[in-house]
Amino acid sequence: MNIPLNIDWRQILLHLFNFAILAGGLYILLYRPVKNFMKQREDYYQGLRDDAEQVKEQAEQLKTQYETQLSQADEAIDRKKAEAEQELEQLRERELADAQRRAGVILEKARENAEREHQEMLSKATRELTQLAVTTAEKMVLNAKGDPYEQFLDLAEKEDAHEQSE
Amino acid sequence: MNKKNRLLLFLWLCAVALLLVGSILAPSGGHEETIREAMRDAVLHESNKINLPGIGPVNPGLISAVTVTAVLLAAALLIRIFVIPRFRYVPGKLQLLLEQGVSLFDNLAKTNSPWRNGFLGAYLFGAGCYIFFGTLFELLGVQAITTHGTSFTLPAPLSDVNAAIMLGVLSYFVICSGAVAGNGFHGIGSALKEISLLISMSFRLFGALLSGLLVTELVYYYVTLSFVLPVVVAVLFTLLHALIQSYVLTMLTALFYGEMSEPHERKPRAKRRKSAAPVQSN
Repeated sequence: MNIPLNIDWRQILLHLFNFAILAGGLYILLYRPVKNFMKQREDYYQGLRDDAEQVKEQAEQLKTQYETQLSQADEAIDRKKAEAEQELEQLRERELADAQRRAGVILEKARENAEREHQEMLSKATRELTQLAVTTAEKMVLNAKGDPYEQFLDLAEKEDAHEQSE
Repeated sequence: MNKKNRLLLFLWLCAVALLLVGSILAPSGGHEETIREAMRDAVLHESNKINLPGIGPVNPGLISAVTVTAVLLAAALLIRIFVIPRFRYVPGKLQLLLEQGVSLFDNLAKTNSPWRNGFLGAYLFGAGCYIFFGTLFELLGVQAITTHGTSFTLPAPLSDVNAAIMLGVLSYFVICSGAVAGNGFHGIGSALKEISLLISMSFRLFGALLSGLLVTELVYYYVTLSFVLPVVVAVLFTLLHALIQSYVLTMLTALFYGEMSEPHERKPRAKRRKSAAPVQSN
């Protein structure tokens, strides 16, 4: 059978045989080794990446742990601060009450002292006035002519006359 | 531009001028065949055959394919022995190039076919390398002696229709294998629906590479067209062909393989009957 275009089955098979050798040889000599190497490199970098991911994950866990601890520490600090403020308030109130009490005592003492001094001053003034009156009287007596009683009466009369004239 | 560069430029221009004059003045050997015969032979390979020891006369494309295979396997062996054992995690230039080549086809397989892509990646790598380096092979202009005793430039392997059919059919069978692996015998039905792939994949390759060959043949046939123009026609077109055809075939194979190997969930028969019952009653 004469096939057009000079198609020859034997030569097709020879081409196939030739291509089979070429494809097989290229697969064994080039394709597989290069692909294996690329796979090996990919595995190597994948391993590095996995390690990095693992380390990152551990770091994340540590970070979370530290953040928890930090928040707990913050809470403890807040709690301690509140307690300290409460204690300080109580202490301040106690001190204030104590100061007020002491101020009351001091004020009472001052009042008592003032009263006592007032009384002393009054008594002293009374004494001095009495003394002055006595002294004046003595001086009047000593400087008077005649009987004191008479002088007194004269003075009294003078006073009456003076009032009546007015 | 310094003095040394100017001297080099002058020498290069002199060499180009001498070659031009020489090629015009030198006596031409004459054409052994007309342009029509040359074109016809480029398509059909009827007259220029090469004797393959133990096999007999074969198309020049087969010799090209064997040569490309030998060169590629030798290069792969050298790379396997001397380069791959020195691979480092931070790659150098050659290592990067090899890794890019492998991962290009591997990713093509993985992205287009998430199922059973191990074999597909290896196949795409082989096919891609074969098309790419096979197409670039024609740039070398390797000469061979035909059965008539004349010198003949070896073409790209895939400009031979037999090589293109082989690769197209093989790609189709790879797609079929994916369909069977993914869906069992039910996958064969969906693969057979795409039977046109057999022809389209084969003749797309053949047509693309043959067109490049014909244009190159035409350009080189006439001496007046053989200056400057081949730089664009031969080199750039061949490079583009190599890239585009290797990408197109591998991408199509991966795409259809992924589509065929996708597992389809089948409804149990009892459920299908139940779901069909109300329709019948209506």
